[in-house]
Formats: sequence, structure tokens, C-alpha cells
Amino acid sequence: MTSQGWVWFIFLLPTLLGIGLFTLYPMLESFRLSFTRGAEERYVGLENYRYVLTSGSFRQAIFNTFYIAFFQLLIVIPSGFIIACLIQSLRRGKNFFKILFYIPNITSMVAAATVFLVVLHPQGLLNYALSFFGIPETIWLANPTSARWSVILLASWHTLGFGIIINLANLQAISPDYYEAASIDGASRFKQWLYITVPNMLGSITILVILGWIDGLQRFTEAFMLGGHTGSPVRSLYTLVGFIYERGFGGLEYGVASAASYLLLVLILIFTFINIKFFRMKI
Amino acid sequence: MMKPKKSAWGLTSLLLISTLLSACGVGNPSSSATTPNQPAKESGKAVASAAPVETTGLSGKLNVQLIGGFVEQDKTDPKTGAKTKGVYVLKEEFEKMYPGTEVNFVLMGWDSYNEKTQTMLQSNAADVYQLPGIATFAEQGLLEPLQSYIDQDGFDLNQYFYGQVDGWKAMGPEDADLQIYGLPFIGDTRVITYDKQLFDEWGVSYLSKEPTIEEILEKAEQMTGTNPKTGEQNYGLTFNKSDAADTVMNINESKGGKWGTGFLWKDMELEFNTPTMAESLDLLKKAKEYAPEGVMAGQGAEKFLTADNDVAINLRSAPGFVTDIRTNGTQDRFDAALLFINPEKKMGGMFAGSPFAIGKSSTQKDLAWEWLKFSSSDFYQQFMWDNYRIESTPVVKSSTEWASVKEIPQMSVVLEAMGRLWAPRYPYRSGQPRYILSENVEKVLLDSASSQEALDQAQKEATEWIGSQK
Repeated sequence: MTSQGWVWFIFLLPTLLGIGLFTLYPMLESFRLSFTRGAEERYVGLENYRYVLTSGSFRQAIFNTFYIAFFQLLIVIPSGFIIACLIQSLRRGKNFFKILFYIPNITSMVAAATVFLVVLHPQGLLNYALSFFGIPETIWLANPTSARWSVILLASWHTLGFGIIINLANLQAISPDYYEAASIDGASRFKQWLYITVPNMLGSITILVILGWIDGLQRFTEAFMLGGHTGSPVRSLYTLVGFIYERGFGGLEYGVASAASYLLLVLILIFTFINIKFFRMKI
Repeated sequence: MMKPKKSAWGLTSLLLISTLLSACGVGNPSSSATTPNQPAKESGKAVASAAPVETTGLSGKLNVQLIGGFVEQDKTDPKTGAKTKGVYVLKEEFEKMYPGTEVNFVLMGWDSYNEKTQTMLQSNAADVYQLPGIATFAEQGLLEPLQSYIDQDGFDLNQYFYGQVDGWKAMGPEDADLQIYGLPFIGDTRVITYDKQLFDEWGVSYLSKEPTIEEILEKAEQMTGTNPKTGEQNYGLTFNKSDAADTVMNINESKGGKWGTGFLWKDMELEFNTPTMAESLDLLKKAKEYAPEGVMAGQGAEKFLTADNDVAINLRSAPGFVTDIRTNGTQDRFDAALLFINPEKKMGGMFAGSPFAIGKSSTQKDLAWEWLKFSSSDFYQQFMWDNYRIESTPVVKSSTEWASVKEIPQMSVVLEAMGRLWAPRYPYRSGQPRYILSENVEKVLLDSASSQEALDQAQKEATEWIGSQK
């Protein structure tokens, strides 16, 4: 390092201060709060963690969060891959479809959810469309299962574009030589797709699974917009972050909310670790 | 090319100076340091009474926190075109009454208002606070008790509607019973609203002024089905699924029940699973049969209060409905009736609104007290009514005589309802028991459990939670 080298670190100071004040300090303060209870911040040891882990509503939140995340990924990842392959195979209009599918991803979730409330209305677009297939009118947000599927639908619509873009990036990275060689050897287009494209997509699928789970475990906005902060109906849209929000901001139980936040952090770490190991991802 | 040393020091100095300048800007961006060149007094408005002689020596800055749709400058409603005056009108009037004082407002929205208020109270960021969650802050010893100020000034609490002061009573850490920590300035209530046109078309007599739930169910049943005149599908009633538990509690009150006893968590005893609560929940479940199919999803009654309405009765409407019917041009079509009351206690329904309170660490307590008194004046209350009607109903009895109130026939019911709310407000709503009750009421309305089963569960869970707070 030159004698003036340290000067440049001063330019990092605003960022470091920002991270320290607005990220590290709140994290540490939240950790401290997780061992306290009440406005007077009475020390209760691990009581908040015990309370959260034995709480029925926390277990309900875990179930809802995993249910919604699992089915959303089950929809988004395969369909994102298939749509990306279709777009890639187009000779014209690739960019048009890329933009078309990506627009929902840049739309505000609050605005999208408001539109979905209209779509999911008993006399809304979805019931109207389903009526052509003889499916009777459904009150989507008045039944726990259909309410969860409403959130899955909204979340899938919102994130599908991201899945498509990631898959497209990977598709474009596959050398055309493989396809050319396979074509010379007489492989059909389907076989090229099955034996060349699919095996080479592991990288993008891995990243989508890992990011999708992290995002899914932190789900809040969609569920909050459709179910309010109690995750109505009957807490079917009550997610882990919803639990933290309700306890922290709804009831001023900062200790319980902080403990739940740290448990969520641990859950995300464990799940991400498992995903990385499962997909043998190198990081 | 600049020499590295010089350029580094130059850039460093620039960075530090800009950081300092941005940090040392005007103290409170949302406070009103500037006074618009506009007359404070509007024609036809009441003028606040002059300051008492003993308070004229007060001076200095007074920071007032307000929550909700308040604005500093005038604005125009994009939907109705109605003009709204900024709160500078209040500032100018107060500063005129107390020369040498300066009012600064801290305006904020309803998002996370409790957390923001907690931070402000702990850091002495204001002197006067709008505190709908007053009990939580009084319990922490963050608020100034007001009884001594009231006694000293002989301040007349009878100017408020009945129960409005009691509704905001709370307990400090050292209090043995409920004390006054705040004075009301924003009123709120709920009324039953109904569509007279649908009643006429069905040949059903209008609701009585104080209907029973049985009367409502009977009339709702008659008006559910195909309208004999228009041939359209009509629904007898609707309710808000998110506050269905409050409706059940209110029906329970009309059956002689109550939410429970106590105020602080340590003393609280809930009565969620009494026979009257179970009966009330069954009645609401019956009411659901006459509601639009989407009522439990908060859908199906969007046209209520409009000319295309197809629902006869709404079990709980906020006072803002008077603005909606005026905007929709349906003011002659909709009327209001009172919520249910406990026959013994003569009150019922969830108490709501906002009081003003003084921060314990305020250095301007006397001036803050003057602001609290000012908020009860006709000038202040009428300003709120004229400009922030959608979120504020008057809390003073004199409002019943205002011409602008009298010209709205439904307001007589709204103001009467203000004096019948359950006071002090339901304390169980400050914590988990509120959500636990809501969840279990919802289970019954969605046919997932029987009333008694669900209420027993609510009682058990809520009692356990209260136990964990002791």
C-alpha cells in the first residue's frame, strides 16, 4: 500500500457507516431484543425462542410459507424453462417475448396484488374464464386452500419472467457446436433438447431453486395484500414474515418478533445449505 | 492531471463537507417553519377563545405530532375536487392566541405509527402526540397525567360527548386505577347503514333507530333474492370480514355480555366463550346467509353507497360514509341506525378515534396543555370537520349545533353513536387476544368449527397469551 493508499478508504466511509448503522446495528439490537420481553425490555433468556418454537401460529406460518414456496417453484421453474426454450427457438420476436414475460417482474407487487383482487373476485376474470370449462364459481379468498393457491398464482405470475430470463441466459451460453454435431449425427430436435439442452441447464435451475427458496421463505407482500396481517382466511396466508410483522408491529412484541426473525435466518441458512449440497453447487 | 495527494485531500474535504452539510440541514423536514401568506381564519368559521390571562406568558416552540392524512399546505381531492386546508391554519390560530410561540408539526402516515411514536416519545421528538394506542405508552410511563392540569384550569370535560374522555383513560406504571392521559380530538364510531330505496322496492319498513340484531336479520331475510321491481339479485346485508369479531362482540353486548374485565394484562379476565358470545356468533353466521357470496373475502359489496347498490344493510359503516354518499349523489337514499348497546351499561361498540397526549419528557408541558385545550375549541373541531371529515368526527357536544353538521341528516345518528361507545376501549385489542378472537370467529363463519368450540379455543389461547405477559 502506498503512503496515500489509506486516503481512499475514507471514500468507503459513507457506505461502511450506512452498513454499520442500518444493517449491523439493527441486527445486533434485534438479537439483544430477542432475549427480552415487554416495553421495559425485561431479560427472559431463551424464553422467546421457546415460545415461538412451541407456538401454534408459528407452526401454521411455517406450513403456509413452505406450501406456497414449494408450489410456486414447482410452477415457475419448469414453466420458466419451457417458455425460455420456446423463446430461444424463435427466429423473430425474441425480444418482444422477453419483455412481455419480464414486465410482471418489474411491476410493484402491491399494484399487482390489487389487480389480482379484481381478477379473483367472485364475478372476476378467473371465475369467468373457468366457467367455460364448466368449473363452478369459487370464492378464491374465502377458502384456506384456494386462498393459498391465489397467492401461488400471483407469486408465479410475478416471478415467471425472472425464471425465463435466467434460463435464457443459460440457453444462450450453450455452444451451438453441440447442436450442430448432434444434427450431423441425425439427432431429432427433441433429442437435442433432451440430451444437450436439459443437462446443461443445471446451473440456472440451481440458482433459481436457491434464490426461489430464499425469496419464498421471506414471503410477505403477496400474502399481506390478499389476506391482511392476520393472513385471512383462518391464517391460511399467515407467513413467517407475517408472524414477525404481526407480533412486532401489530402487538409491539419486539422480543418475540426478534426471536422469530433469527429463527427465520437460521431456517434460510439451513435450507440454502441443503440446496447447495443437493445441487452440488460451487460457491 | 492532478497530483494524487492534492486530489485525494480535495475529494476527501469535499466529501466531509457535503456529509456535514447534509447532516446539519433544517432540523425537521416535515415541520412547518414557513407560514403561508394566507389568512388563517376562514369565513363562517368559529374562532377559538382568547388565551386565559395566566397563560399569556407562555412562549417558545411547540412540536405537535399528527398521524393520518393531514397536510401542511392546501390540497385538492382528485376524486371529489374538494379543497382541503393545510394544518397551517391551526398553527396560525394558535400562534395568534399565544404570541411568542411557534408551532411545528410532525406529520406522519398510519404505517407503523406505533413504532414511530414510541421512538419519538423516547427521544422527546415532540411535545404533543396523537396517540390512538395511548394505553401502551401510558403503561411505560412515557405520558404526562392530565388530571392536575384539568383541575388547575377547571377545564370542563362535559364539553365532550359522553364517554369520549373515559374511552381514552389508561394506566401508568404507578397507577392503581384508570387516569386521564389524553383528551379526544378525533372521534370515530360505527353505525348501521341501509339503503332506503331497496327497502321501498321490497316493501319492507325502514330500520328502527335502535334496531336489534333480530330485527336486522328478519328484514335482511326479506330482502335477499330477486328484487321484485328491478329483477336484480339483492342481498339483505353485508359486514366487514376483517372486523367480524367486533360485530360479534357488539351483538354480545346487546345480549347483556361484555368482553371481560381488567385493563392491564396482569389483571385482565376475558369472557370470549360465554353463552351470549356463542349466541352472538351464531347470529352473525345466520346473517352471513343474507350477505353476498364473497363477504368472507371482503368482496361483493363494492357497490354499497353507490346508485347501483344491491345490498340493503351494512352492519358497520364508518362515519366517512356521509362523504361517500355526498360524492356519489346518494345522500337521500342511505340512512343510518345505531349500533347495539348493553342494556345494563347503556354502551356498546368498539371505541375508536385519537386523543392528544403530552410526552412525559416534554419541556413545554404548559404550552402543550394549551394545545390540548385548543383542540377542544370549536375553531379546531370545525376545522377538522370541514377539512378532514373522512377521518375525523367531532368529539364536542357543540358540534350538534353546527350548520354544516345539521345539513347532513345522517350525522345526528353518527353523533349520537359517539356517546354510546364502550369505554374504556377494549384493552384486549392491544395484543394477541384481538387476533386470536378474529381467527376463531372466522373459522365459524367459514364453517370450520362450531361457535362454542371456536370460542373455547379463543378463550384458551388468549388466556394463555395473557398469562405469558404477566
